[in-house]
Amino acid sequence: MSFSLNPADFVHLAPVLFLTVWACLVLLASAIGGGHGRHYGLLAILGLILSGLGVALSWVQHVQPATDLFAGMMVVDRFALFLDMIFIIAGILTALVADAYLEEHRFTEGEFFALLLLSISGMMMMVHAGDLVMFVIGLETMSLAIYALVASWPGQRRSAEAGFKYFLMGAVASAFLLYGIALLYGVTGTTNLAKLAGVINGKAGEPLVLVGMFMILGAMGFKVALVPFHMWTPDAYEGAPTPVTGFMAAAVKAAGFGALLRLVAGLFSADAWTFGSTGWINIFWVLSVLTMTIGNISALRQNNVKRMLAYSSIAHAGYLLIGVVVVGLDPSQMGAVLFYVVAYAVTTLGAFAVVAWIGSRDVERTTLEDWYGVAKHHPAVALAMMLFLFSLGGLPPTAGFFAKFYLFKAALSFDSPQMLTLVLIAIANSVVSMYYYLRPIVAMYFREGASAPKPLTSFSVYWVLGITSALVLILGMAPDATLAWAAQALMGG
Amino acid sequence: MLLIAILAIPLVGAIAVALMPRKDEQGARHMGMVFTLLTFFVSLALIAGFKISDPGMQFEFSVPWVRSLGINFHVGIDGISLWLVLLATLLGPIVMLSTYKAIDTRVKEFVASLLILEMAMIGALVSLDLFVFYVFWEIMLVPMYLMIGVWGHGAKIYAALKFVLYTLVGSLVMLVAIIYVYVSHGAATGFYTFDYMVLTQSVWGEQAQIFLFLAFAIAFAIKVPMFPLHTWLPDAHTQAPTAGSVILAGVLLKMGTYGFIRFAIPLFPYGAAVWAPYISGLAVIGIIYGALVAYAQKDAKKLVAYSSVSHLGFVMLGLMAMNEAGVTGSLYQMLNHGISTGGLFLAIGMLYERRHTHELDQFGGLWRRMPVFAGMFMIIMLSSAGLPGLNGFVGEFLILVGAFTHHQGVAGTDLPIFIWHSRLMAGIAAIGVVLGAVYLLHLYQKLMFGPITQPKNADLDDASWREILTFAPLIVLIFAMGIYPKPFLERMEPAVKLFLKEYKVKYKASEGYTGQQPKQLASLSRSKYALPALSAPRAGIVAKTTMAGGKAVSPKVPKIVRPKIVPPKVVRPKIVRPKVRPRGGAAPAPRTPRKRISPEDMRRIRRQMQQRGRPPGRGGRGGAG
Repeated sequence: MSFSLNPADFVHLAPVLFLTVWACLVLLASAIGGGHGRHYGLLAILGLILSGLGVALSWVQHVQPATDLFAGMMVVDRFALFLDMIFIIAGILTALVADAYLEEHRFTEGEFFALLLLSISGMMMMVHAGDLVMFVIGLETMSLAIYALVASWPGQRRSAEAGFKYFLMGAVASAFLLYGIALLYGVTGTTNLAKLAGVINGKAGEPLVLVGMFMILGAMGFKVALVPFHMWTPDAYEGAPTPVTGFMAAAVKAAGFGALLRLVAGLFSADAWTFGSTGWINIFWVLSVLTMTIGNISALRQNNVKRMLAYSSIAHAGYLLIGVVVVGLDPSQMGAVLFYVVAYAVTTLGAFAVVAWIGSRDVERTTLEDWYGVAKHHPAVALAMMLFLFSLGGLPPTAGFFAKFYLFKAALSFDSPQMLTLVLIAIANSVVSMYYYLRPIVAMYFREGASAPKPLTSFSVYWVLGITSALVLILGMAPDATLAWAAQALMGG
Repeated sequence: MLLIAILAIPLVGAIAVALMPRKDEQGARHMGMVFTLLTFFVSLALIAGFKISDPGMQFEFSVPWVRSLGINFHVGIDGISLWLVLLATLLGPIVMLSTYKAIDTRVKEFVASLLILEMAMIGALVSLDLFVFYVFWEIMLVPMYLMIGVWGHGAKIYAALKFVLYTLVGSLVMLVAIIYVYVSHGAATGFYTFDYMVLTQSVWGEQAQIFLFLAFAIAFAIKVPMFPLHTWLPDAHTQAPTAGSVILAGVLLKMGTYGFIRFAIPLFPYGAAVWAPYISGLAVIGIIYGALVAYAQKDAKKLVAYSSVSHLGFVMLGLMAMNEAGVTGSLYQMLNHGISTGGLFLAIGMLYERRHTHELDQFGGLWRRMPVFAGMFMIIMLSSAGLPGLNGFVGEFLILVGAFTHHQGVAGTDLPIFIWHSRLMAGIAAIGVVLGAVYLLHLYQKLMFGPITQPKNADLDDASWREILTFAPLIVLIFAMGIYPKPFLERMEPAVKLFLKEYKVKYKASEGYTGQQPKQLASLSRSKYALPALSAPRAGIVAKTTMAGGKAVSPKVPKIVRPKIVPPKVVRPKIVRPKVRPRGGAAPAPRTPRKRISPEDMRRIRRQMQQRGRPPGRGGRGGAG
């Protein structure tokens, strides 16, 4: 493999590199300036905005399908840039919530934001990866930062336990991933996704290839919490500091699905996608059904809102898998998945911002009883939460409804009975999910609270609630612009 | 534009009320009153501007909403929806007036919910785009859910949840059917649109129609509610506050029957014909069952709730007869039910305000204490029972006449079994009329006659001026519609005739048609907004069929000078267009295709993007002809 370092390639990667450097700066600043009460969050947001400008510039420039960097190690295409933008926006919103949350719960602030930025740069590497090695590096950068973020709550045993659990299971998943990659390399002699796609078509039936691909699939399933690999999710989501939970549900999931889509397009053999043969599509089909059904059914009995939203995120991963199946059949339908990712990310960030908002020092107030009567004391926040829950459940005129509608439309455009069945199962799941999404509304609106909650009355949190609810409504009622962007976010090649 | 105004006023009102200070409860009530009255008065302009002999859509307005998917914000009314819209706008101020005393907690939120609900109901009644209709249909759920849950009583949370989940099951099935209609119509014609006026020009294959009709019918039948799917209704009615019950009975239930007549039957006539005998069977079961269960109730509100099941059975029976008498009758009966059952709920709500109970045993002998109230109640009760001279009689009579001559002129009716089926149905339904009188008189007798047994009833106040004012418009309408139904019927008639004519044409066209894709009928266009030029064609697909445009209007449809309506403005939202030309002028180096997107595919995608940039309607349509 000839390897020449082209200096121009670094320019394309500027947003990622900049973010990494900025993370170190934040760390340095906190080392000099002390840990508490300094709004490092604003510093992090500044870095994210600058990086976001770079991504936007790159988007305007990259009208061509793709640019390969470093001999195919990384790819810059609009698909990756679209996802970059999601990570950055999710990062900004998370940093805004965390800014108030960390102060209330006495975190050491500098590291938190540095880790947040590092995890985002890892995600960006992950979706830009054109090579499995690069993909692993990105994944690990992201994951290690997230493990630390989950466990970062000082003096909270649950947070440490969640972080440890997540780390151990994540390490096992990483091991599987690497082993799978090694097997594929053994058979094909390459780790480059573009080359793999060419070689693997002829070797789809070979046992080593199959084992390798299953291992990679399992590891990805762990990262995006698909059903047989979802056990860590509720614990990790519940134990983590709430802004981190929101970030995991929005950005980590988006990154995982971005990478999965790239693997699906590049790795999983094209021939095996059609129905009828025991192709990959059937596996994704089954995973989708399992994930949404089990996610929704487990969420039904949860009295803890945070845990309920964790199960709901599993269910949404199931809906997103419908999109993966759709993209596998017709890559030009990418817009449907990406729109869903955006809608879900915005909605879930808003919902977790409300969860973060309601708790105060020492009391997290995440059970439904804690939410009794919130609508009476804080009607605006209750209204926003209702909007988010309806969006998660898929009622118009919200982002969640339009995303679901668009996804179902894409799925039904194939006119195949399997897709119709999948959509009908998803519909049945939506009805089931509405039951538990209504429970917080019942608590907030229909019940009388014993005492008024003492929430975080920080403007940054209210900003986040305002922005996310506005986005939920805009995506639901005027989705044209976002639809156009999502439709342009095609993978290169 | 008039319809847009009618939709916008309640929405503006809701926002205005939401921004008011929390403590000013009376102010919020007045504000709600002002906005509902304003909506009502503006909606009266609909009657003034309505062209009686025009069977087609009037007051049409269409503006692209989501261009890339061919979703237009298309609204319009015809003789079928005109009176239902007016019913909704009339019940707005009446309900508002009835809540001045009944609702005393979170008044601001209540008024805002009511206004949003009013907007959503009107929106569902006027929308002529399936997507827009679905959005309004679902928005109706939320305020009603809050009304039952926050201001209801008893097992309100259970009732609210049941209401939402029941409705959601049906509507999501309908959503799948809507998407299927959209996708298959787009695949067949090249025009991806949700526009009802375009979609209704096509017929689907027999098999598809049977399933599509079923999917729509489930959604609508739950809302009506038809017999086996009715169980949410008594709960919702009993636990809801009076205002919620009135709206629920008055307008919300009509959404189901309206959905049948507007969407399910015209879009899938063959499916409708296949299912009609079963649906009318269920309707008759509903009539008898509802009446019997109503008679057995000890709770006044539950009694009226079950009477709704019975009355809406009549509406469905008339509708499924698919002849002029039956359909007109069922439209008329929808209005009657809204007025009389709405009135009954109001009356029972007033009793509840005084005594805080719905139990029949708690009352008796009220006639002596509250003569004015009892008199008004009696008129409404008799209207509901169908006394000749009052409105209920006209509707029920027409329905029974229609049901007796089931399915005239459509295949299948010459078989003796169908003739006997319809006669049997009409015969049993006639028993339902008698049973209706039984339970309503039973209700009235229990409440009003006999000695005063409960000491609390001995010093009840008679109806206040506010309450009299609440009833007055209803009572006026009951007499007007009973004695002189012509102004109402003559506006319905042309639309009903057109509905039946098109039903027959489309039925004939779809009979024996087994194709996978929908086929278009050239003779059915009635809206100039239905021109495909307005609905954004999906890029890259050239139309295979020339659409029946405005010029191809069937000569049989009377040509009528339309009221001045806003010309179809092509409002084009600014979309960031893809720049697909290669950068710097140099062609990109040929890359080995490494993914499954072949060069051909890439070219196709690029071509599509270029075409998307073009003004719609020119590229696709003209090229085909």
